[in-house]
This record gives sequence, C-alpha cells and structure tokens, in this order.
Amino acid sequence: MKKAEGVIILWWLLFFTLHAEGTSYSLPGKPTLTNCRSPEKETFTCWWEPGSDGGLPTTYHLYYRKESSDAVHECPDYRTAGKNSCFFNKNDTSIWINYNITVVATNARGSTFSDPVEIDVVYIVKPNPPEKVTVNVSWNKSWPSLRVSWDPPQKADTRSGWITLIYELRIKLEGEDKWEEHPAGQQKMYNIYSLQSGGTYLVQVRCRPDHGFWSEWSDSTYFKVPDYFPQERSIWIIIMIFSVFIFLILIWAIHMNSHTLKHHILPPVPGPKIKGFDKQLLKSGKSRDAFSSLVGSDFPPTTTNYEDLLVEYLEVYIPEEQGLMLEEGKDLHDGSLKSKSYTSDSDSGRGSCDSHALLVDKSEEEKEVGQKSNQQGGRTEMDLKRPEESPEENILNYSHANVGSPDVSCEKVKTWPSLFSPLTENSSGPLDQPDSPEMAKQHCLSDSLFPPSPLSSPFAPPGHKEVLGSNYQEYSFGNMHPHVLHPQTGSHQYLQAHGNMNVANIGHKGVPADLQLPPVRSTEYVEVQKVNNENMVLLYRVSSDAEKGCPGRRHTEEYSRLKGVNNDNGLLLLQRMVSEEEMNICPYEDQESSGLTDSGYTTSTAQKSTAYIPPATQVLDERVAGGYVDTSMFTLPIY
Amino acid sequence: MDRAVLLLSVMCAAVSSQPITDSQRLFSIAVSRVQHLHLLAQRLFSDFESSLQTEEQRQLNKIFLQDFCNSDYIISPIDKHETQRSSVLKLLSISYRLVESWEFPSRSLSGGSAPRNQVSPKLSELKTGILLLIRANQDAAESFTDTSALQLAPYRNYYQSLGPDESLRRTYEMLACFKKDMHKVETYLTVAKCRLSPEANCTL
Repeated sequence: MKKAEGVIILWWLLFFTLHAEGTSYSLPGKPTLTNCRSPEKETFTCWWEPGSDGGLPTTYHLYYRKESSDAVHECPDYRTAGKNSCFFNKNDTSIWINYNITVVATNARGSTFSDPVEIDVVYIVKPNPPEKVTVNVSWNKSWPSLRVSWDPPQKADTRSGWITLIYELRIKLEGEDKWEEHPAGQQKMYNIYSLQSGGTYLVQVRCRPDHGFWSEWSDSTYFKVPDYFPQERSIWIIIMIFSVFIFLILIWAIHMNSHTLKHHILPPVPGPKIKGFDKQLLKSGKSRDAFSSLVGSDFPPTTTNYEDLLVEYLEVYIPEEQGLMLEEGKDLHDGSLKSKSYTSDSDSGRGSCDSHALLVDKSEEEKEVGQKSNQQGGRTEMDLKRPEESPEENILNYSHANVGSPDVSCEKVKTWPSLFSPLTENSSGPLDQPDSPEMAKQHCLSDSLFPPSPLSSPFAPPGHKEVLGSNYQEYSFGNMHPHVLHPQTGSHQYLQAHGNMNVANIGHKGVPADLQLPPVRSTEYVEVQKVNNENMVLLYRVSSDAEKGCPGRRHTEEYSRLKGVNNDNGLLLLQRMVSEEEMNICPYEDQESSGLTDSGYTTSTAQKSTAYIPPATQVLDERVAGGYVDTSMFTLPIY
Repeated sequence: MDRAVLLLSVMCAAVSSQPITDSQRLFSIAVSRVQHLHLLAQRLFSDFESSLQTEEQRQLNKIFLQDFCNSDYIISPIDKHETQRSSVLKLLSISYRLVESWEFPSRSLSGGSAPRNQVSPKLSELKTGILLLIRANQDAAESFTDTSALQLAPYRNYYQSLGPDESLRRTYEMLACFKKDMHKVETYLTVAKCRLSPEANCTL
C-alpha cells in the first residue's frame, strides 16, 4: 500500500513537473518571410523572421515548390546569406517560374508553417550599388566641370544584355541636408556644372534594372572643387558693374536735361534784332543783300535814282481846297535859309517817313526842285535845292554813322514823306494856292520826330519862286491824334541852316531880310532856304497861319532850330527856343502849338541861346525823347 | 508590279549588303516595342490586382499555381545559362512564337479601355519585326524552319475553352501570363541584340 502511494505520489510529482515544463514549451511561433531578393537575376536569397521559439530549440526549414511541379524542395543553402536566410544558387534558380516558398519552424513540440510567398525571380531583382565611383575635374575655359563615372555592380551582367541597368546619382555640398538628384539613364558617367568654387561635394550613385528595385546608394565619394573664382576679382567686378550703372544713370540724367545744360553752359547768342534784317540772308553769305534791306533804298543814298527814292517816301495829303504848294527852289543868295520844320499832323495811317525825317542829299546843283505833288495821300518828294552850291556842303543824311559825304553841295534836300493835314482850324486852308504848284511841299513825316500837329495847309509860296526857289520842308506827322501828338510835340525841330550868321528866328525872328518869307498862312513847314558855304542848311519855317502872318512859327517851340552845320558835319541846333515873341506874335499859332507841344518840351521855351549839343548823344537824349528829332539825323554832331 | 519588284530587290540588296547594321536597327526597334508591351502588361496586371478584394486575392494566389500559361508548351530557356547557350536564331524564333501565341488571346484581355485595344495590333507589328529579324539572320538554315514548325504545337485557345464562371480567375491568369511572356521576349531580344552588337557594354 505504501508502495502504491509512493508510486502515485511519484507519478503525480512527475506529472506536475512535466506539466509545469510543458506549459513553457509550445509550438514555435510562426515565422514570416520578409523578402527575397536577387542581385543579378541569376541567384536569389530569401530571408525570414522567426517567431517565438516556444522555449524549445527551434529549427527552421524552407521549402519551396516550383510552379509547374509538385515536388517540394528544401533550401539548398542556409548559410551563405547569413542567419535565417536561404540562398538559391544558379542551378536552383529559374527565371520566369513562380516559386512557392514556405518556412517551417520546428521544435520539440511541433512545427509551425509560415505563410507561403509566391515569387518570380524576374521581379525581385535588386542589384548591388554601382562600384568605383570616380570624379574627374576638367577645365573648360577656366570654368571647372565635374565628370562622375562609375562601374556597374560586379555581379550584374550588363554586357550580355541579361540585365539592363538604369543609373541615378545625387550630389550635395558638405554640410547641407538636401541632395540634388540627377537621373543618368543607362550611361555610366555624368557631367556636373555650376559648382561652387572651393566647395566640397559628396556624390552617390545607384542603379536599378528596368523592372526591379533600386539598389542602395553607393558610398559617398568626396571631392573638392578647386578655386576658380578668386575673391578679389569678384570685388572688382562688382565695383565695375556698379560704376557702369552709375555712369549710365548720369548719362541718362544729362540727356534728359540736355537743353537746360546747354543753356547754362553755352547761352544762346542773341541774334541780331535789326528791323528788316534777315539773318538767313547773312548766313547765306550774301551780305550785300542782307544789308540792302537795312539800308533800304536810302542808304547810302545813291545819287542816281534819287528821285525814285524820294517818290516812295513822300506822301502828301492835300485837302480839297488846298493844293500842294510847291515852292520852287529858291536860291538863297544870302542869309540863311531858315526852314522850319514842323510837324503837322495828318490823318492817321498815312505813310510815314521811316525814322528819317530828313534826308539831305547833296546833289548837283539844281535850281529846280523836283517836285511831285500828289493829291491826297500821295507822296511827293521835293528836292530841296540849295540855293547855292557850296562844295563843302554836307549832305545831311540820316545815316547814323556816316556823315554825309563831302559832296558837292546839294541843293536838294530830300525830305521824307510826311503827312500833313490841313489844320483843323484852317480847314479852309489858309494857304494861298501857289500859283504854280510847282513846288511841292515835301512833307516828311516821322512819327518819332515830329509830333503830329495839324499841319497847315500848304501854303502858297508865291514868292518863293522868285526868291530862291526856296525849298521848304514840311514836316508833318501822320497822326492827327492829339494824344499822339503829345509825346511828339516838342520834338519838333526845325532845321535851321545857318551859315555863319546866327540863327535867326524863323519867321519873324531875325529873318534875314533877304529871306522872303513865303506868305505862309497855315503851314508849318520848314523851308530850306539855302545851304550855304559853311555847309549849313538854312531853314526857315514857313508859317502855316496865313492870317497871322506868322512865319509858321507857331511851332517854334516844338522845333529846334538848326543853327548850322559845323565842320564836323554836325547839325547845329538851337535849343528849343520858343520865342515868346513869336508866340505873342502868333498867338493863335502859339495856342495851338502850345497845346500840342506840352509834353514835348524838353528845354525851356525861352531858350534862345544856342547850345552845343555834343554829337549825337545829347541830341538823342533830349530830342529823341521828345520824339521830334530824327535819330538818324543826329549822328551828326549838333550844337 | 514593276515597282514592287524593284522595291523588294532594293530591300533585299540593302538587307544583304548590310545585315548587321540593319539588324541592329531592327533589334533596337523590336526591343523598344517589346519593352513597351511589357510595361503595358505590367500596368494591366497591377490595375487588375488592385481592383480585387483581399479575399479574392488570396484565393487567386492559391489557384494560380495550379494553372498553366498558354505558352508553357513553348520551350524556352529559363535561366541565363541556357539563354547564353541558345543561338540568336533560336532566341528569335522563340520570341516569334511567343508573340504569335498571344496575338489572338490579347483581344480578350480586360483592363483599361485603351490598353486592351492597343495590345493586339502591337503584337502583330512586333511579330512582323521579329520575322524580319529572323530572315535577316537566317544563314540558309532551312532546317530551322522545319524544326520550328515541328515545335509549334497546334494552336489552341487555351483560354477560350474554359467557362465564363471563372472569368475573374481567367483574367488574372491571362494577365499574369501575358506579363511574363512579354518579359521573356524582351530578355531574349535584348540578349540577341547585345550579342550581335559590336560594343562591349551593349548600351542602347
């Protein structure tokens, strides 16, 4: 009994111990085939992952079946590929045939089968990475380029075409994270450009078959790019580019402001502003033509066609009742011929003299006065004739610079056309019609010179003819307007040609007895009596008021008397001498004249002394301001 | 008529005068075409596989082993060693037969709308090209044609015999086999081309 119990207890203990051990033992866990790979499509390897071993030593076996047969084969080589692997060599490898592979784990307790895996070797190819990656630096015109070359993996048979590999490489700078990948196709080399000078690069290459898996990246190949871009040069290049840029900006700015700059640097030369002067003509080289316009027809006065010239510039207004009284040129034998030029205003718009009130031209001795008289609006010219010839007579001309040439005395005094209109008061015209309208009154009109004033109607100088054929000059103005008159009043002048004798007042003032004043009634004409030896033009004023018998003195105050012509070819002018006597004598005229000459007076009316006026300038200042002196006239020294 | 004769004579002359260069060019064309067909087949297969559900997939995996491809009767080298041993002409003929075997069944290949329609004419063109290559490389070996004729099993449409129930399985098998065969042809042609080409590295 005790034996039986002992056996039972022993059995029980054994059972328990056995049982206790048996719980830790179990079937092995299920292995799993992780992957199978073929490096060259000729062999392949499979790897598996073992499961739990169940506490017992477990062995693994790999069995495979080929597609067309049911025979089960076991893995021929467990060792070559490492642990838990199976290597199929060339003899065992068939392409285009499906393999059914299973791994079995076996321990003392039993076996566990893994899930089968179906493979075709063709589609599990994963080659080895390319080998012998080399980098060569080549220089192309001082710019380096890299040539990376490699070999296919050793086992892969690309030569026979068994495997066709496609390559890919990647490159990056040392220290960076991002790779730059370049597919290379089937070629075994690759060129890389645009590298950083002095940088260190890493290159890797990998490959894959046309239907397969990518290989692993090859080991990094380090290479250093040589310095090909010196730093100093880069700085210079930057500076150059910058300066070129600034230069371009400057050029552009200058171009934009070229006009302003031109004006600053080279101010435009003012061209000649001469009335009637044609610049283009001068430029073209025809100086003669260019000056001809300046000259006009008057300067230098040509003796030949004097008549023609005069014709143009004279304009005579003849009221109906009155005709032009032309006075024959009288020869002044003695005395001075005083002629007073006065202005008479006329209708506006009449042709006016160019700024030349008087042109005294020396012409040949002519006793005649070529006169043409026109009716209203016509221009007449009258040659004033010197009563005497004197070789030294000057030609009074209006040229600025040139004094009249010392020609033969010219008895002709050409006056500019002047407009005159009959005196308003003397509408009827106190003029005695000359018996012969031979004498044409020359009216020289100058706006600048002569204040318009109502001109006296032409007077009839009946006596002139026989006296001297005195010439008179009429100065008149184109404008009748009183307001126009004003600035010009006082600028009247009368030329008094005076020989050695003193100037006598025109008119009743010291008129030489020789002079026979024409019965001027309402004319304000200056009549050139003569030009004497001393080259003086004797003028006397022809009174316009016939009734008064004033010798046209009404405008004395408006005129400056020409005292004489000095040796320097200057006109001697009296200061304005408004003679009160004259005024008294001819109150009527005075009134008119005074009214008209208010503004024009520059000198005291009482002056009777002669004053020397330095050539040109003074006259210009005084007279011109008053407007009654022809500027052209007063280039001559006047005193 | 005269023109056709003239053209043929010119072609023959051209072919005979420069067999290597011409065949190389033809090989390149043939290889590129078959590569394209292989890619098509791969895509068809993967599309079909992705459209399957997992359970069906498992089923198909099991089933597939038991069936055969249509072209199994065509004996072809199955490893590199055998391939290297085969002559170019043999390789070309095998390729020719493989392509020919798929000419008709490819019309019933399912898959994407476009690829299916393109497969059959491409196969025809490829077949023509391979024939040209055979002619070009034939060294008066008339016996070859006889043997090839003998080796040609009578054509049978393996896939048409089965019923429509197993259409899913059928499609799967067809696609898998088509893919495999295209790869075979590609490999054979590539090997043949490389063997004839003067370059050692045999790059295209």
